[in-house]
Amino acid sequence: MNDIKISASGVDVFYGDTHAIKNVSVEIEGNTVTAFIGPSGCGKSTFLRCLNRMNDTIDIARVTGSILLDGEDIYDAKVDPVQLRAKVGMVFQKPNPFPKSIYDNIAYGPRIHGLARNKAELDEIVEKSLRRGAIWEEVKDRLDQPGTGLSGGQQQRLCIARAIATEPEVLLMDEPCSALDPIATAQVEELIDELRQQYSVVIVTHSMQQAARVSQKTAFFHLGDLVEYGETGHIFTNPEDSRTESYITGRIG
Amino acid sequence: MNEAHIASAFDRDLEALQATLMKMGGMVETAILESARSLEDRDIELAEQVRKADKAIDALEEQVNEEAARVIALRAPTAGDLRTVLTVIKISANLERCGDYAKNLAKRTLILAETPDVDGTSASVRRMSREVQLMLNDALDAYIQRDEKLAQQVILRDEDVDQMYTALFRELLTHMMEDPRNITACMHLHFIGKNIERMGDHVTSIAEQVVYLVTGSMPDDTRPKQDRTAYVAEGL
Repeated sequence: MNDIKISASGVDVFYGDTHAIKNVSVEIEGNTVTAFIGPSGCGKSTFLRCLNRMNDTIDIARVTGSILLDGEDIYDAKVDPVQLRAKVGMVFQKPNPFPKSIYDNIAYGPRIHGLARNKAELDEIVEKSLRRGAIWEEVKDRLDQPGTGLSGGQQQRLCIARAIATEPEVLLMDEPCSALDPIATAQVEELIDELRQQYSVVIVTHSMQQAARVSQKTAFFHLGDLVEYGETGHIFTNPEDSRTESYITGRIG
Repeated sequence: MNEAHIASAFDRDLEALQATLMKMGGMVETAILESARSLEDRDIELAEQVRKADKAIDALEEQVNEEAARVIALRAPTAGDLRTVLTVIKISANLERCGDYAKNLAKRTLILAETPDVDGTSASVRRMSREVQLMLNDALDAYIQRDEKLAQQVILRDEDVDQMYTALFRELLTHMMEDPRNITACMHLHFIGKNIERMGDHVTSIAEQVVYLVTGSMPDDTRPKQDRTAYVAEGL
């Protein structure tokens, strides 16, 4: 059992009149990959976005309940969402590199957060991040070229490298492999497993097999409820709730 | 979990797999009954038929394993579906062993047919095999119905088979002590009895697989052991 990294309790999310998340409580462990699964519209992405306050950017979204990161309420008035997002990084469904050079894509975060004192330190951060993103060997000779010129799989690994450049403690991934081919998917999954040594990773995925492959804990969401949360091996062999079973076995549930 | 899969071909695959298993089960039941009947009636023709039919049972086991491997590779079954595939593989192995024992009984019938029955022991053998066949029938019903309760009852009934075996053991021992000319026949009959007792264990294992299929965990091993032959001393 690892330490609890994020502790959410009694979280509700409303988009205007829509009740998107209903009284969800969950404890995300450190050094663990946690998968959120569930049919489209079940609230898994919404809940993921609560964990680094991405829902703040949506005017009609309202979040209640408490979400603690290392025991501190991330929705407290004195928390700066920008600082929070440096600690809780995010990778999106479609690779979205900045229209800048590969180097600047990685250097951007460390620069605005003042993580490097000089060019040498920044170079070091860029190399380290690209290495950890498992893309260094492919781009080291063309760091000045635009990130948008890379292949889809490379772009996604660039985005992961960018997300870890600020040394986050938690990495949120929303369908990170849905636009990737099987080889690039395998590389990203391998990377996720390596990242677990240092971070907590929370991944939203529609691929049940991906959830089974990469995660240690799985949470199943359905119609805004957290139906079941437990050890991945258990969820995929003997789920407690019939709704979980219907979903993972591909039945109409 | 009775709902249909969204991919109906997945349902067809799982149904076909279980249908093959049931076909195999039916053939094994027949083999158990007919081998015992061939012994009691000294029916060499029937014994020969049972012996030959075992090839078809073996072929079905292979077919079950191939189909199961295919479902695993192509459908990546999880939860109840996964347990269905896993239990089908295990149960087919249990059935195949039962088929082998029935074949062995038929082979011994070919030898025993040359000698007169040792005082009704063939009838004891038939009663014992009848009990095992009924247990197997219920175990397979429990599988198809996903009936955990029935499976648990089958597990408990193995005790009766064990008791029948112990009784037969004592009976055979008495006959051998009475007249050494009975020894050859009694040795064969003893192996037959032991094999039927082993069939009961395989049927119990099938019933345990049903419990696993339905509940996700194996039953607790609390059933009493009634095979007392290890404690039977000479001069009983």
